[in-house]
Amino acid sequence: MVPPQYYLLLAAAVFCIGVFGLLTRRNALLFLMSVELMLNAANINLVAFSYYWGNVTGQTFGLFTMALAAAEVAIGIGIILVLYRNFHEIDVTEATTMRW
Amino acid sequence: MEPLLMQADQLPQWTALAPALALGLTGLLLILIDSVDPDSSRPALLAGIATVGSLASLGLAGWFLSAGTGQAGTGGGISLFGDALVVDGMALFFQALFASVTALVVVASYDYLHDHPHRAEFYSLVLFAATGMALMAAANSLAVAFIALELASLPSYALVAFLKRDAGSVEAGLKYFLIGALSSSVFAFGISLVYAATGSLLLPDVYAALSGGVEGLTGVAAVGILMVAGGFAFKTASVPFHFWAPEAYEGAPAPVSAFLSSASKAAGFALAFRVFVVGFPLDAGIDWVLLFQVLAVVTMTLGNFAAATQEEVKRMLAYSSIGHAGYALIGLAAFSGGAGGDVLGASMAHLLVYGFMNTGAFLFVALAEHWGVGRTFDDYAGLASRAPMASVAMSVFMFSLAGLPPFGGFFSKYFLFMGAIDAGFWWLAAVGAINSALSLFYYSRVVKALWLNDAVGEFELGSTPTALYAAIVFAAVATVLLLPGFAPVIETAQSVATTIVP
Repeated sequence: MVPPQYYLLLAAAVFCIGVFGLLTRRNALLFLMSVELMLNAANINLVAFSYYWGNVTGQTFGLFTMALAAAEVAIGIGIILVLYRNFHEIDVTEATTMRW
Repeated sequence: MEPLLMQADQLPQWTALAPALALGLTGLLLILIDSVDPDSSRPALLAGIATVGSLASLGLAGWFLSAGTGQAGTGGGISLFGDALVVDGMALFFQALFASVTALVVVASYDYLHDHPHRAEFYSLVLFAATGMALMAAANSLAVAFIALELASLPSYALVAFLKRDAGSVEAGLKYFLIGALSSSVFAFGISLVYAATGSLLLPDVYAALSGGVEGLTGVAAVGILMVAGGFAFKTASVPFHFWAPEAYEGAPAPVSAFLSSASKAAGFALAFRVFVVGFPLDAGIDWVLLFQVLAVVTMTLGNFAAATQEEVKRMLAYSSIGHAGYALIGLAAFSGGAGGDVLGASMAHLLVYGFMNTGAFLFVALAEHWGVGRTFDDYAGLASRAPMASVAMSVFMFSLAGLPPFGGFFSKYFLFMGAIDAGFWWLAAVGAINSALSLFYYSRVVKALWLNDAVGEFELGSTPTALYAAIVFAAVATVLLLPGFAPVIETAQSVATTIVP
């Protein structure tokens, strides 16, 4: 069996890639993809430690996380659509009618 | 009344969730009506159903609270679904709060949305978000915590961006969604780390595993707890995830701002109180009390100083709501194990009073937007001579938010600061008191503009929106009545808070 700390490292690496994408990308769709990476990093932990601890709590919660990630993308795409209609752009730094 | 009160503990166990079920079923009913009759010309019907649903939820929560359901007298909290949900006094207290705010917001929205084509969607989104909040208050597992938090957040994103042809509303929705998606993934990763260290998601099991010591994984648990705290900081608009709040509250439709800054914030605190007190022992590899002390001081100071420099009333209220999140954080910052129930209860009572006064203040802004009088302090000049009743109510909200003696906000802050002093954190109370004194400056600017300044130009206020007026007056009456009625509120809050302390 692969020792659990390798899973932790893998998950942390995927999470950090997500954070990096979030901070550097200005396209709203790429922002959504970065968030997906971060949520899936959590799933790696959940599934790996579900096996480590010998219970299915983590795997079950992983399924819920995936469903919620999909729901979040659905709302996000909707907001990005109205963003495009109002600003003709999906650059997240363009929408600045209010002071940030 | 007595026979009715007695019957509450003879009902089947699942009925303890009735306050949340009432909200959720009403939301579904509204969607059903909308799909049968999409171009409904009877907006009063939709608003009426939403109001009845939220009042039913309030009534059920109040009935269960007074009948003692899930409280120490009747055998303690009712655990459902394999202990994933627990209905106890604290859950019911917060559910009553969410239902009250939902009712106020729904009534006020009737006039605010007077010619909007998608009313049924609006009301059902509000009710679904409220359902999520009601479940957040009852979550006893990190899995339910995450799902309930998302159930409350996802409709909120759509509600903030609801005016889809208004650039401000869409921009606010985008920013709220971006920060929300970021913080919920941080929250989920934190949960996965806590699970990695403890092997369970149920809060009492997590507590047992962490206090037993998790060899080799203490650091993992500590990082997990830190990330979970980050998720709550977003929901409660506290530092460091506070910066969405001014944008989202300013751009959103004003009733939605009221809903988010009162109910959604209280829901974040309800969940944070339970997760940290029930799930994470004080010595779980990270001193989370110290973390919340730092966050509380920074949040209240930043919120109040930023509020003092604003020119727009809605934005000032947004920063003031960040400041109030700092006060409410004292409940966790001054928590010290066994005797921590009192300050926790004071924090809950403050959130209840805040729910009415802050909702009322944002609804006054909704009224001003309905009339089109403008957004800055100067635009509010002389409103008192045209709308005296609403202006009296707004003055009550402002003085109560500042914590002046004759209003509900004074007592809740007094108990909160006294609780902090009793727990040995006099400096937290001192910082809170200084910030309250500062807040009087910018709250009184609104009152001064309303009553003392003369209007710049001549303009007529259009119609008198009855429902919006009713909601504002009701919130003002509740704020004033919480002065004589504060004793039962604080007693209930402190006794139900004490029962969750392990």
